[in-house]
Amino acid sequence: MRLSVAAAAATLSAAILLYPLFEAASWFWGATGAVLAVLATSLLAGRLALPAWAAPPAALVALWIYLTASYAAQEAWLYVVPTKASVVELARLLSTGWTDIQRFAAPVPANEAISLLAAGGVGLIAILVDLFAVRLRRAALAGLPILALATVPATILPEPISWPAFILAALGFTGLLVADGRERLGHWGRAVLVRRTRMAATAERPGGSRPAMDTRGLRLSGKRIGFAAIVLAVAVPAALPVMEPVSFFTFGVGGRGSGAGNSISIPSPIANLKGQLELPERRTVLTYTNNDDKPRYLRIYALDRFDGEQFGMEPKGSPDDRTDNGPLPPPPGLGRGVKVDNVVTTVEISEEIAELSFLPLPYPPREVRVEGDWRADVDTLMVFSTRDEAAGLEYEVASSEPAVTGEMLESLPQSRSGADPRYLSLPDDLPPEIEELASRITADADTTYEAAVKLQEFFTKTGNFTYSLRTQGHGNDALRDFLLRSRAGYCEQFAASMAVLARVVGIPSRVAIGYTGGTKIADRWMVATNDSHSWPELYFEGVGWLPFEPTPTGALGQGSARVPAYTVPPLDPVERDTTTPTPGATSSSADEPVDPQARVNPRELDREASLATGGLPPDDSMPLAGKIGIGAAVLLLLLLVPAGMRLATRGRRVRALGRDGAETSVRVGGGAARPPVGAAWAELDDLLLDYGMARHPSETPRALTRRLTQSHEFGPEAAAALASIASAVERSLFARDPGDAGPVKKDLRTVRRALAATVSRGRRVRAVLLPPSTLRRIRLMGEGLLDGFDRLENLRLRRTTAAPKGS
Amino acid sequence: MAVTHDVPHRLDELVSTAHRIREAVESVVEGKSDAVRLTLTVLLAEGHLLIEDVPGVGKTMLAKALARSIDCPVRRVQFTPDLLPSDITGVSAYNQQTREFEFKPGPVFANIVVGDEINRASPKTQSALLECMEEHQVTVDGVTYRLDMPFMVIATQNPIEMEGTYPLPEAQRDRFTARVAMGYPAPTAELEMLDVHGGASPLDKLEPVATTAEVRALIEAVRGVYVAQPVKKYAIDLVVATRTSPDLRLGASPRSTLQLVRAARAHAALSGRDYVIPDDLQDLAVPVLAHRLLPSVEAQGQRRLPEQVVTDLLRRVPVPETRAS
Repeated sequence: MRLSVAAAAATLSAAILLYPLFEAASWFWGATGAVLAVLATSLLAGRLALPAWAAPPAALVALWIYLTASYAAQEAWLYVVPTKASVVELARLLSTGWTDIQRFAAPVPANEAISLLAAGGVGLIAILVDLFAVRLRRAALAGLPILALATVPATILPEPISWPAFILAALGFTGLLVADGRERLGHWGRAVLVRRTRMAATAERPGGSRPAMDTRGLRLSGKRIGFAAIVLAVAVPAALPVMEPVSFFTFGVGGRGSGAGNSISIPSPIANLKGQLELPERRTVLTYTNNDDKPRYLRIYALDRFDGEQFGMEPKGSPDDRTDNGPLPPPPGLGRGVKVDNVVTTVEISEEIAELSFLPLPYPPREVRVEGDWRADVDTLMVFSTRDEAAGLEYEVASSEPAVTGEMLESLPQSRSGADPRYLSLPDDLPPEIEELASRITADADTTYEAAVKLQEFFTKTGNFTYSLRTQGHGNDALRDFLLRSRAGYCEQFAASMAVLARVVGIPSRVAIGYTGGTKIADRWMVATNDSHSWPELYFEGVGWLPFEPTPTGALGQGSARVPAYTVPPLDPVERDTTTPTPGATSSSADEPVDPQARVNPRELDREASLATGGLPPDDSMPLAGKIGIGAAVLLLLLLVPAGMRLATRGRRVRALGRDGAETSVRVGGGAARPPVGAAWAELDDLLLDYGMARHPSETPRALTRRLTQSHEFGPEAAAALASIASAVERSLFARDPGDAGPVKKDLRTVRRALAATVSRGRRVRAVLLPPSTLRRIRLMGEGLLDGFDRLENLRLRRTTAAPKGS
Repeated sequence: MAVTHDVPHRLDELVSTAHRIREAVESVVEGKSDAVRLTLTVLLAEGHLLIEDVPGVGKTMLAKALARSIDCPVRRVQFTPDLLPSDITGVSAYNQQTREFEFKPGPVFANIVVGDEINRASPKTQSALLECMEEHQVTVDGVTYRLDMPFMVIATQNPIEMEGTYPLPEAQRDRFTARVAMGYPAPTAELEMLDVHGGASPLDKLEPVATTAEVRALIEAVRGVYVAQPVKKYAIDLVVATRTSPDLRLGASPRSTLQLVRAARAHAALSGRDYVIPDDLQDLAVPVLAHRLLPSVEAQGQRRLPEQVVTDLLRRVPVPETRAS
């Protein structure tokens, strides 16, 4: 009774940790109901004295009825009894909840479907906790499902679990342990859990002449240890300098370091980029909609200065260029006659983005409608603020993308007067091999455009580059290494290298950092941390800056990157795909005849093209069923570990016996015969344990033989085999001369068969799959560990008992 | 290696001789094979036996039958409150012809001494006997006389009639290797007894089946029985367990360890083995240890006898490590 309640309380207190994952509290009441349903079943099962195995199915049924009553009552018979329609309804809600959870980042809205999912999950955890703590009486093991519940927010949320919630959860579990201990105390009068054997052994040993008085302080010290552990778990991380003290006093989401000074904070865009790409979890950065519903790269930074080490920037924002002063400066280099696609994009930045004082914008922005003091850099058209941060902002941006085609670019005049010389500057010590490489790649290019296309092709096709986040370093060496040797890197290297090569061949270039177009979820485009990207922008007189895409796309590269259509060289007409539109086409160019080059499928550019089916989210590389299958397989393998260990042990022993069997006819003198016979004895011992008729430690081989032969009515053959093993063991252990071991291997086989015949099929299966002997060995290892702690504790006790006993 | 070859041969001899003695004794004392076996064990272990039971169950009969079946001098002393030490050890009397003090050996100068109702004698007399038991020698008037081998005291004691008795102190009980309770015979055995004892006493018809020299050889063979190190350790574990048990006020002495192992040797030899196994110790632990132990007040309150405590300990103390490492 007390245990059931404690188990439910522990589950609920751990469920509180999930709070920050949801926007509203409605899920919690659902989960509470689920836990109460499980609790009620547990109490009922206890009252009716149901067998232990029957309780979990009963609780499952109760949980099902509860979920039906609360989430699919209209479909159920009498609002409670599940019907076919209610099952369908629950399944529909579950699948909706599942997709919702995939779709939203935490905190998710607590709609009905998600509440159902949460309540069901917490209910299942409650059943597990109840099974471990109440049915199997392994309260400590019940910590595992509780821990599983607690790790959910820890892995999803970036913030550490808030400490009051953690304390609640820990107290819940401690309460469960205490309840379990008290229950045992009530039943047996002594709260000794694991060390039974040890306590008994020390009591019988000469040194351990410690009478039973020792248990007095046990309960108190147990409580003390529990609370001390909780306090330590909370206090120690706080004392460590790496932890953020700010998030310490917030409950759930929202710890935000404030850094609003007057200077522009640029937290090293490149480092930031890599950090974001390496995040294990997708987190939504922003969502946007636009009027032509096409994904567009959103640029944040344009790095135009190359110092030989890496690209950097020096944004200048004069008050005249404030966004609320009307349109931004005109895009540099964009000629009047060029057709443009006018796009209006509405962007919503997530609340969680910290320290972002630049706006992600499609290039080139013409007008930005945003709250706050935001200014544009005249040259690069970056929009930034010295006071405000982008987190939580919602703004509208109008951009006019030049609708260019390959043909058009090819026919551009070959002059570069319009660009600032800094876009062409290169360090003096640029390695000559790189210059050579650049000129080799672009050797047969007639125009700058062709040269640019060749460069991109070099990275995506001919150069055999691979995508890898593991690359480090900047500077000439890193550049040379990337271009000439390793040819493995991620978008930063690709972008920077292409920019450098472009400068070498005389094309003004800079590196843009921002996000790819993201993935479409429902009717919004969602951009997440792993959509962070970097790409080169090349300048063409007449159309201005155009993005290129040297980074491999698709599953083996930057997942959501897309190759602009105009950068694709003309391909064989057969291979052309007429279905994929260019990222550029919009209303203003809709009446234009479609340019054949614009219809080239960009996917065919890439090695990984087949994987990068446009529009699909990149993390859908493996279906859910596959993941579950792999998980189940891993679990199965883990479960088979004890069986494997058992088989290995048996194999080793039988081999030892086999060696012995070869010389059975020879009289083995001295200790030579001991190991094989010992192996037979150990195997027999384990066999008995596996079949649930373990040898008592005080049972001699002879006594064991007597007991087995009498209680299982062995046939004469088996009895003789058993007696022969026992006698061999006896002689090998105690006699001066062990003599012949006899056909121990054969005897062992006979005995095993005889023993197996006496037990039920279930026992036999269990002996194979989950052999208690192996579990005991594992437990012994654990106890060895505990003994180590005991020894430490003894040291402490000796110190305290040496002091005079004041109390 | 001479020992190894010799022991089996001597063992066969031992087993057959012992078997003969057992059969002879059991022809007199029906249905008490355990007690007879234990008596033989104690004889071969060079120990002394305390038989404790109610009157009339054949205590003296057992002692006499054993003595008779071995062709050796047997003396019987009936202990009474007025028995003096010299009545046991013997006296120096003045011989008028030789004009010298001459030592008249007491009943203790025999191979088997039966002390009947030993708790009826005064402590002084008891201790005189007990000294002989331990030292295997008698000192009278400053002269030490060695006792003959084998020397075994079989004392009987009546636990019921305690009035006017001097119960053996713990220290003296410790000198007996084993204590055995005869117990009432089974109805069939009792019936047979009526038939057999109806005529003449079967004791009279008992012919000796072994000689003193044979018994001495047997004892020598028993000394050669091998006790492995783990078995010795097990014996120590058992004895130590009695000292640390909360149920016992007084545990077993180091002498009891010695006697336990010695008795185990004899037990093993009687089973035809030239090595001791833990089973020997387990079989002997209760008769060898129980009479030396004093239960604690709590155990007395729960009416737990030392025998039960020892049985419990046997169940708790693990046998020597029989697992391969």
